[in-house]
Amino acid sequence: MDFIRYLSELPPVKLDRLYESHFTCQAVLRSLPPIAKQYVLRLLFIEQPIAGETMRGWAKPEALGKHNAAMERLDQLRVLLETGGKSGKKDASYRLNPVFQQQLQRALSGAIGPPKDPLPPALASHKPSPADLNAYALKQWESLLLFLANAGAPGGERRGDQEPSKMIKGLLRRAGLMGTSDEGGVRISDEGFRFLLMDLYKQLWVVVREYVAEIEDQGLDGAQVTCFLMELGFYPLGEPHGVNRLSSLQKRVVEDLASVGLVYIQKAGGQSCFYPTRLASNLSASLSESSTWQPAEGFIIVETNFRTYGYTTSPLQIAILRLFTRIEYVLPNLVVGTITRESVNTAFSNGITADQIVAYLQQHAAPQIRQRVPVVPETVADQVRLWERDRNRVQQSRAVLYEEFPSQERFAAVVDYARQVGALLWQNPIERRFVASDGRHDDIRAFIRNQSRT
Amino acid sequence: MSSKRKAAGEAGAAAGASAKGKKAKKGTGKAAEEVTDPVELDEEMPSEPEDDYLDEEEPLEEQGTFNDRDFSKLELKPDHVNRPLWICTDGRIFLETYSPIYKQAYDFLIAIAEPVCRPECVHEYNLTPHSLYAAVSVGLETETIISVLERLSKTRLPEEIARFIRDSTLNYGKVKLVLQRNRFFVESSSPSILRKLLQDDVISRARLSRDDFTISRAPEEAAAREMEKDLLAEGEPEPGAEALEKDLHSFEIDPEQVEHVKQRCLQPGDLCYPMLEEYDFRNDTVNPDLNIELKPMTQIRPYQEKSLSKMFGNGRARSGIIVLPCGAGKSLVGVSASCRVKKSILCLCTSSVSVDQWAYQFKLWSTVKDEQITRFTSENKERFRPNQASVCVTTYNMVAFGGRRSEESEEIINQIKSREWGLLLMDEVHVVPAQMFRKVIGITKSHCKLGLTATLVREDERISDLNFLIGPKLYEANWLDLVKAGHLANVQCAEVWCPMTREFYREYLKKENAGKQQALYVMNPNKFQACEFLIRYHEQQRGDKIIVFSDNIFALREYAHALRKPFIYGPTSHTERSRVLYAFKHDPNVNCVFLSKVGDNSIDIPEANVIIQISSHAGSRRQEAQRLGRILRPKGRAQDRVAGGAEEFNAFFYSLVSKDTVEMYYSTKRQQFLIDQGYSFKVITELPPPDMASELSYSTQQEQLDLLGRVLQADTAEAGEERLGEDLDDIERYRARRSVGNMRALSGADGMVYMEYSTGQPRPMGGRGRGRIPQASRHRIFRNRYGASRR
Repeated sequence: MDFIRYLSELPPVKLDRLYESHFTCQAVLRSLPPIAKQYVLRLLFIEQPIAGETMRGWAKPEALGKHNAAMERLDQLRVLLETGGKSGKKDASYRLNPVFQQQLQRALSGAIGPPKDPLPPALASHKPSPADLNAYALKQWESLLLFLANAGAPGGERRGDQEPSKMIKGLLRRAGLMGTSDEGGVRISDEGFRFLLMDLYKQLWVVVREYVAEIEDQGLDGAQVTCFLMELGFYPLGEPHGVNRLSSLQKRVVEDLASVGLVYIQKAGGQSCFYPTRLASNLSASLSESSTWQPAEGFIIVETNFRTYGYTTSPLQIAILRLFTRIEYVLPNLVVGTITRESVNTAFSNGITADQIVAYLQQHAAPQIRQRVPVVPETVADQVRLWERDRNRVQQSRAVLYEEFPSQERFAAVVDYARQVGALLWQNPIERRFVASDGRHDDIRAFIRNQSRT
Repeated sequence: MSSKRKAAGEAGAAAGASAKGKKAKKGTGKAAEEVTDPVELDEEMPSEPEDDYLDEEEPLEEQGTFNDRDFSKLELKPDHVNRPLWICTDGRIFLETYSPIYKQAYDFLIAIAEPVCRPECVHEYNLTPHSLYAAVSVGLETETIISVLERLSKTRLPEEIARFIRDSTLNYGKVKLVLQRNRFFVESSSPSILRKLLQDDVISRARLSRDDFTISRAPEEAAAREMEKDLLAEGEPEPGAEALEKDLHSFEIDPEQVEHVKQRCLQPGDLCYPMLEEYDFRNDTVNPDLNIELKPMTQIRPYQEKSLSKMFGNGRARSGIIVLPCGAGKSLVGVSASCRVKKSILCLCTSSVSVDQWAYQFKLWSTVKDEQITRFTSENKERFRPNQASVCVTTYNMVAFGGRRSEESEEIINQIKSREWGLLLMDEVHVVPAQMFRKVIGITKSHCKLGLTATLVREDERISDLNFLIGPKLYEANWLDLVKAGHLANVQCAEVWCPMTREFYREYLKKENAGKQQALYVMNPNKFQACEFLIRYHEQQRGDKIIVFSDNIFALREYAHALRKPFIYGPTSHTERSRVLYAFKHDPNVNCVFLSKVGDNSIDIPEANVIIQISSHAGSRRQEAQRLGRILRPKGRAQDRVAGGAEEFNAFFYSLVSKDTVEMYYSTKRQQFLIDQGYSFKVITELPPPDMASELSYSTQQEQLDLLGRVLQADTAEAGEERLGEDLDDIERYRARRSVGNMRALSGADGMVYMEYSTGQPRPMGGRGRGRIPQASRHRIFRNRYGASRR
């Protein structure tokens, strides 16, 4: 799940409401592929529909593929609206979504920057540095992940030194990341395991989407929350913002999101202000992978002998490694583990896929092996995939067992029929039982009925 | 003169061979005596049991997933980034290979610790009492070891480790037994230790003169000093750095009492000073010198030089084992060591083929003259001139043989026994059972022993016996480093997964076929096709030379016949072996040869660069490594081989495995050693390519069924006993020995059982003469072992 997918899956009404905030429009513009950005800017001040034919002419013939992709994206996001013509593609013409167009015009032409609030003097002396903010954001976010990871470990939550708030736990459960274990405690779900291996950006969006949905379920204005979140992304990092000018809903959002590290709240002398963190600006960051903020340097070395060496002290990273490796040594700044068939099988049974494991190892590869091609030794990647494939060798399909035939002849006739229709799987004439695939059960049943009638 | 003798020797051997046929009738007389000539056992060397069949529990597995070793409390030094090691309290050491001081740290670690795995980025080592013993014996001192470790470690050195090192090395290497001018001296750098030793009754009685200790000066350990310098040279002035000599105190003991004194010193408890043996060959004036040098054009590679420097570090020769990968030039190390000692050399190998090869290597690298080198095998009994130093190459079996010998070999063995050998060179020490070592070392008097091997692993972990029989491990090379430097071929290893055909798998699963399982999964038609495809590919497209290994003799024959390739196995005669190998080396039309287990060790086939393994000895890591070693000798131009050269891989190792059979399990286990050395096995699942399948043998179901029938039938026909079907040659005998080994271990009646077994063996000479009826006859005789000896 990411920003664009989230938006494109919203119903049109909701989406249009979001475009009422120029921050959302800007964020969407940023996330578009270059050619689509170009189109949006061309159409920005054009109010009449443009024929699809004309637009096609804007792209060189060899870039038609990119053109189509851009058009599709714009269409999905309801940035371009089809007007006139029946839905026949040929003579369709397009214009920018008027709400979007208006907001974007305002944003680009006017000087509407993010609001600036003077820092109350009581807080000025404690202004956190950007590094502090980053550390805070990571710590909060990791404690959430760690809570989730530990919920999967036998003995559960014991290691979580910092429990997330009830609200957050609710979100995790809502998102299907956590379920209830047989003993009634919380337990990480398959979805949750996969979640742990996602990259930060996708993880963020899973949580934010659930949060917005939660707000809406409470009968509050979800669109306002989304817009506010977009807005946060445009605030300069490290600058304080007063709480007072916020709506009550926005205030609540700030309070709630502080606990996952999206914003940092500073309070002193009855006054308070908040700082958006890197996480918040990441929310609306463009999709291009290069610009996403890597929370930490890679730390894993994978060797051809299936050893993994993780340069980390983070309990979260250790917990994640533990998902698919057998940890053997924990040293002050290193964990040593082995990828074994058993350890990987545990991961598979938790719903993690081989590709996810390999991708995780790749994304978090230590700088020492970054230049290696491939980063994860081929043999290791292959083996993990083979192990996965080995699990999938047995396929289950439904089948029906037929028994208690009154006579051998009846039995033989039915078996014959089953064979003819190609459904017979197994038979034992002595016990007069056979098994046929479920697909032809109706036919076989009809045949048996017919037969017993005669 | 010597050539005449040689001729006589051959005639004698021929007479022996013919006499053997008549043995039953004659039974007495000189001819019968010939019969008891030691058997050329080659691959029949009784090796100690390898417990591949048992699932040995790995210690880590027992720990369980969440019971890992937590050393996170160790205190990190502030500048830990610049230091390459982590040291755990359980003796495990991790080394970063990208550290700037990796090279020095590696040299140091390899001297003090046992390598566990050495892939690309992080190496692991274990500190063990044995490894520390080895460290001390090459001259490293306890406090040096501790201070260097402290310096290299990212964390404060755990107190436990320091204590462990002190405890383990306290007594090691403090006392040396030195043979000088044929007088035995007990030597130590500290007189107080000597005084302590002399308080012991046995030792003081053995002492010859009652005077004060003799004080001599000896050059200090060159290799160890260099290492210390490398690592400690950080501005600290070393105490006494200029003084290159140190005082040594010694007293002489009665040569008769040497064994007792050694025994006393080993005694755990109050003494416990294991003696290191050193040979001051330069001052040995009693034994005649052997006038050999390395030839001027012989080049010694850096790692060979390093291993030799560990051996001759202080100007004397010390006993020990040098571990180099196959193909890295072990024989050159042996020959160079001989050229330094320059005394009589006794060289022991595992088979007569390798005897020839060693003799050839001696002549190739050194200036040894023909009359200075003799071979002593059952076929070749060359005598050496008394009172002159010489090189003698023979097999372990010839020396250790316990039965009656022919007059001729009796004479030679007496000469061997009576001579004082300067250097005892022992090839492939990992295959020879400890029992045999004891015997060989007991029989031959040598000043210094050098063991050579490629793989110091045994499934039964009895490798430590070698430590005390021969000496500590002096040097072990890193495979990957040698590959990177171009000294070894860069091998692409692959495991080919062949699905079992339906019919074969059905038979495989049947209980009554339990004994034929091996034959079934080896003869799996898919495997056959994969093998055929690979042979074709490498023969025709790359022009490679291929060895196919099969432990299963039935499969070996079937494959070789079906593909029309020559094969060699146990019963193949020496001459035929030589002929096949010669053709393989020189005939452009013979590019593929099938070998049974006999090819595992020491058959030197430098031309081969592809190995296809169709069946193997269960989970033996050693066999896998040895087989890979057959193709490690680098070929082609050096600059093409190193990273970035024209050919990334120039040798190929395929292991064909039938899916869903025990082979899969074994193969994982087998590869462990190589994987620990940094090799990786690529899994290939689609072989042969689907469009090729119809061109290969056994592509129709009918052919496959015929083959299945043959497999099922052959077993009963050939083996006569169900169990044999599983294996038609080596493992059967092997298993029989295995139980003997266990009994021996249980009862403690070691030598007895071994000798009895040995005499109960059929004479392979006879077997060769008669054309072999191998399995059946061997098996029956084996069963009637006691009956035979009664008769």
